[in-house]
Amino acid sequence: MATIAARLQPARRWIIESPISGPLITLVVVLILFSLFVPNFLTVRSMSGIVNAATLTGTITVGVTLLMIAGEFDLSVGPMMAMGAFLFGLTVEGGNPVLALLLALLVPALMGAINGFIVIRTRIPSFITTLSTLFIYRGIVWLFSGGQMFQTIQEAVIYDVFNGRLDFLADAIQGANFRTAALWWIGLVLVMQYLLVRTKFGNHVFATGGGIGAAAAQGVNVRRIKVICFILSGVAAGFAGVLLFSQFKTVRIATGAGEELKAIASAVVGGTLLTGGSGSIVGALLGVLIISMLRTGVVLTNLIPADNFEAIVGVTIVAAAIFNHWVREQS
Amino acid sequence: MSDNGKDIPVVRMENIVKRFGTITALNGVDFSVHRGQVAGLLGDNGAGKSTLIKVLTGVHTPTSGQIYFEGELVDIPSPQVARAMGIETCYQDLALVNQMSIARNFYLGRELVRRIGPVRWLNVRGMSQKARDALRDIGIHIRSPNEKVGKLSGGERQSIAIGRARYFGAKLLILDEPTSALSVGETRKVLAYTQAAKERGLGVIFITHNVSHVYQAADTFTIIRHGELVGTYTKDEVTEMDIADLITGERER
Repeated sequence: MATIAARLQPARRWIIESPISGPLITLVVVLILFSLFVPNFLTVRSMSGIVNAATLTGTITVGVTLLMIAGEFDLSVGPMMAMGAFLFGLTVEGGNPVLALLLALLVPALMGAINGFIVIRTRIPSFITTLSTLFIYRGIVWLFSGGQMFQTIQEAVIYDVFNGRLDFLADAIQGANFRTAALWWIGLVLVMQYLLVRTKFGNHVFATGGGIGAAAAQGVNVRRIKVICFILSGVAAGFAGVLLFSQFKTVRIATGAGEELKAIASAVVGGTLLTGGSGSIVGALLGVLIISMLRTGVVLTNLIPADNFEAIVGVTIVAAAIFNHWVREQS
Repeated sequence: MSDNGKDIPVVRMENIVKRFGTITALNGVDFSVHRGQVAGLLGDNGAGKSTLIKVLTGVHTPTSGQIYFEGELVDIPSPQVARAMGIETCYQDLALVNQMSIARNFYLGRELVRRIGPVRWLNVRGMSQKARDALRDIGIHIRSPNEKVGKLSGGERQSIAIGRARYFGAKLLILDEPTSALSVGETRKVLAYTQAAKERGLGVIFITHNVSHVYQAADTFTIIRHGELVGTYTKDEVTEMDIADLITGERER
């Protein structure tokens, strides 16, 4: 008995100490439950559908989670995504794909920087600041687009680079309908996770969100850290716009509406604290996948109308938050 | 500098005046700390203790008065400058980030990095080992350098903050209410670390309300009341009771 307990000790410690153990357990439980009770759930086709549906929100969530760990919120990601998509689509149409990508990242970066500067200069809580820029930036998108949606039927290599079909996978495996955007998303997650846990910058992000006074007392430039995180949140949202336009070749003024709350929900389900100082980008990826999996699962069950899916999300967020809190309390 | 500079104070503040608009927070206060000495700084709430310390650590600029650091007249315009000079402050609740590990707190702002060309990354293992070794050398034993600071007791947190300041070469250690939230046993430990820091030749400023703790720990007692210096006394000049009376103003100097 003692030896079994001793062998389980490292596993127990991992569950308690790792920030992603909570969301990983939730993901596995949801996967098993749906696989057992929902026909056609555990198939390559629905798995690839779950990943594809998660990609855009997932990309936004990378930046939003980073910012939440630094102790701030960004509610203005939706219009930044739309701005990125408009700039990207229009500039590719104009024949300059490299400039298109640059603009789609830099303009949202600037919008993020403005969010950051307002927060550190005025000390207005970021929740309020970005709530107002949510409306302001939507207005800027409206002005920029002239109130019109933009769509194209033109083909361009860059669309396939960012959100093309992975045909070789589909040929090899029946129903494997994966896209390149998922690879970009996962790549972004890995880069950000590395930055967060293995660099000085990441250490300062945790310190800024976890104890701003202590961080400042140790010489951490907390204002700079916050501004950088706001900028990265804008860049991630702009990049989500690039991925979106590459797939649908359509962008509207309302594109990205509601994404801010989905991103925060995903981050929380993924184990990030609303109060800052604790969280994980990989956890956020799991959070987005959990919610996407629920959507697909609920649609396939036919028990609940797909339109009422949001109620299920609400229940999940509360359940996951309680579960993550409980795991944390065990240590 | 005569006999290794022991009689030159680490810091000497002279005739410090600090006004905020029409309010005079400090009115001509003198205060000094020598190497290998614990200087108690006492006063009631609002007496001006923390204003004096904020002048010393570069948070506030004095309206008038001089600060000498190791005998040289200095200007301390920011907390960064104070730190670079070797003045470290351990604030009551603001010393450490609870959600981060001991090792990451220990090296916060001074992280060890490895690099290949422009690519730099944290030397996580190096920080863990060195933090553990450094704390052990000072006599602080921890279970694991990867343990979150939030799991530690108040005394353990305080001792890690003191250990960190010592390890990184502080010459003057400012302890702001270091024992106010601690149990008896923990208070004893923190007082022992304070003594150890003093024996290593640091100057220590011990700010508190608690007369009995400071009486055990300090060599001199500087008392301020309503922004004015009441006086500075050595241990053989005053009893605990005298100090309490001087703080509240029940007895004049």
